[in-house]
Amino acid sequence: MSAITLSVIALFLYDPYLMYERFFEYTGMPSYKEAPISKPKAGLANPMICDEDYPEWRKAYTIGGIDIQASDACNPDNPYEVAAFVRGTNNVIMPVLMKTQLSDDAVIKTNDRDGDGDPDDIIIRVEVAELNGRSPDELGFIPGFEIAPGIRPGAWVFAPKSRGMSTVNRLDLTANHLLRLPSAPIRVEAGDNITLILENTHYFPHTIHLHGVDHVFSNNDGVPQTSEKMTMPGEQHVYKMKPRHAGTMMYHCHVQVQVHMMMGLQGIFVVEENKPNNWVQTFNVGAGKVRHPSVAVMEDYAQEYDMHYQAIDTSLNNMIQTTNDPRQLAKKMNRVYDITDGTDDYFLLNGRSFPYTLRESLITVEPDQHTKLRVLNGTTEVIALHTHGHKATITAYDGVDVNPAARITRDVYDLASAQRLDLDLYTKDDGLHSYGEGVWLMHDHAERAITTNGINPGGNVSQIVYRKYLNKNAMANVEGGSVMPYFSPEYYQGELPTWSASDAFGWWDDVAGRSISTYKDVILIIVLGMLTGVLFLLFNVWYNFLHDIAIKLKGRRS
Amino acid sequence: MKFPCQSLMLTLLIVFATAAQAEMSHMGMRMGEWGMVMNENYDQLPQGCDAIAGEVNVTIKAGREYAKEFPGTIFGYSQHEFDFPKCTRVNVTFINEDNIRHQFMIHGLPTYLHPQGMFHLELYSKGEITGTFITPKTEQTYLAHCDVAQHMEKGMKAQIKVGGGNGNLPSIPGISGQLNKDVYELDLSIENILLIFALFILGLSSCLFFFVWYKA
Repeated sequence: MSAITLSVIALFLYDPYLMYERFFEYTGMPSYKEAPISKPKAGLANPMICDEDYPEWRKAYTIGGIDIQASDACNPDNPYEVAAFVRGTNNVIMPVLMKTQLSDDAVIKTNDRDGDGDPDDIIIRVEVAELNGRSPDELGFIPGFEIAPGIRPGAWVFAPKSRGMSTVNRLDLTANHLLRLPSAPIRVEAGDNITLILENTHYFPHTIHLHGVDHVFSNNDGVPQTSEKMTMPGEQHVYKMKPRHAGTMMYHCHVQVQVHMMMGLQGIFVVEENKPNNWVQTFNVGAGKVRHPSVAVMEDYAQEYDMHYQAIDTSLNNMIQTTNDPRQLAKKMNRVYDITDGTDDYFLLNGRSFPYTLRESLITVEPDQHTKLRVLNGTTEVIALHTHGHKATITAYDGVDVNPAARITRDVYDLASAQRLDLDLYTKDDGLHSYGEGVWLMHDHAERAITTNGINPGGNVSQIVYRKYLNKNAMANVEGGSVMPYFSPEYYQGELPTWSASDAFGWWDDVAGRSISTYKDVILIIVLGMLTGVLFLLFNVWYNFLHDIAIKLKGRRS
Repeated sequence: MKFPCQSLMLTLLIVFATAAQAEMSHMGMRMGEWGMVMNENYDQLPQGCDAIAGEVNVTIKAGREYAKEFPGTIFGYSQHEFDFPKCTRVNVTFINEDNIRHQFMIHGLPTYLHPQGMFHLELYSKGEITGTFITPKTEQTYLAHCDVAQHMEKGMKAQIKVGGGNGNLPSIPGISGQLNKDVYELDLSIENILLIFALFILGLSSCLFFFVWYKA
């Protein structure tokens, strides 16, 4: 009885409205109680917006007779590396090669067979690298690669054959810049004798399937069930092709495709038209701006960008961070992970999510300019790419040109999985192709893709920036709020109130907890204590009752 | 005024070029289509060494073949531990038996002899190369590994003990355990279960026995 009384008192103290809806009609309205105060705003260390290493690489270069376009990116491609890709690592002088981390045999270009001023026998070597894998020696992931502030999902990539350390050095375990998402786009010229050598430096078997690229079937299609055996760790496989048809294609691993493609073993493969003096940039590390576009592209466009969209399901990708034993990993990834139950958490453009897309994947334009965009959808869902302020024209689907009379100009470009689109982004301010100069977003309009594990802005958001809006940090001068908070890992851990930076009144700050502030709260806690005491006594009574019965029964038996 | 300035520049240039060349040969950089040898040292004495105490030749083979012995690894070296005396010239012959890139990279050496403390042998494919370094006058254990992504983690890790070394490094195949351990399921075979049960009963009964003993 006392327990029931105390419970009723406690409830009345907590909120009489719960006990009896019309309680306050009799007693008058409850007294004012101030809501808990806001938590203090998190003081953040000033995060780095542009972590530039080599700003001088942004300017235009001529190296070994190769013209390399200027780049506006915070982190531009190494121009010496671009030169080595264009000329071939066998045709550049040692000081140029020393400024790269490429192996001497990464790209071998020889024999101008048709006498048109460019080499026709091309040997390309790719390795398979793991990013953010597990180490048996420490808790950090190695070699480290951040897709967004503080976010390091596991991944595998095809990378140009390199030399030296996979990390920056022995203390900084960040991956060297050649090892990164996405797998490097590969460019070849139609009609060339291409030898693509897969050197499997990884601990699982792999292959390369040349999706959409003209190649013969036998021992060459990358499918372990039909055309060839898997390339085992420590082995290499030679793929030969002489592509007759030019266009934007793709390459990817065809072993356990639902796992290996989603781990990152997929890349853009461009076959450029055969033209005289056409030295193509064999790799475009990190995708984005092509600093030495092909002859055919330069005929119609001022510049060219590779744009590779990917998605990551952490329940797959982060498996490689759970054990170092390849046998356990093989079981988990191939048999435990079920992609039909999978959901994507991160959305990448050229290997990074917003705001890191701002460092590498801005499309910077001048007015009245044609920019060629080669877009690949490497996710398992349709993407609905949207350009703010622009309607671009689709010039090719899957590497096949659209009849110019039938070309479609639109502002949402849908791409099925593995589909490629060539877009002509024309910056003529005519109210159709462009609405004028500015800083215009470009993103997948499937709304999950503009988040990073549900936190917005994130995902594959990038910008089309008119060059006059660029500032000295290689970022766009924006008229809205600062992008600074997005460069803090805390933002994507959900620890920062979303509108913190523009919320001067503190309207949407995090709320502090309830504290004991009124006499009612004090009494409530005391009553709860008394209630516990009563319950304990009741329990004691019940125990004694059972005890007595037991003793009586025992006594009767003996 | 112009002439002396130019000649000064020229002199500076020559001096600089010679210095740069000396640096290159000092660092002992060799590079080619086969791979590279970096930061070699034939004759520079480490601090504290009066003379080169001796010469040792070792051969290290690298490849997936050497992973067989150690479950859960994919790559390996023919030998995962080396003992060298102090102040000794070591000629390392590195053999790569795989059709991919492998390295034998030693870390932590004196930085005045080896930039970044590294002595580095690398082969881009199957092949063989010899490089030389001189062990310092220390009792230290040095890390040697292949730094191709995940090769060290998957077995290509060795330790070099100079003057007896100063203990073991973690996760050297066959020598030391992991710090960030892998977790395995329990073996549910009847033998293992019986063994576990027997040991458990042994512990339980000994505890009870001593309890009764004490009471009595």
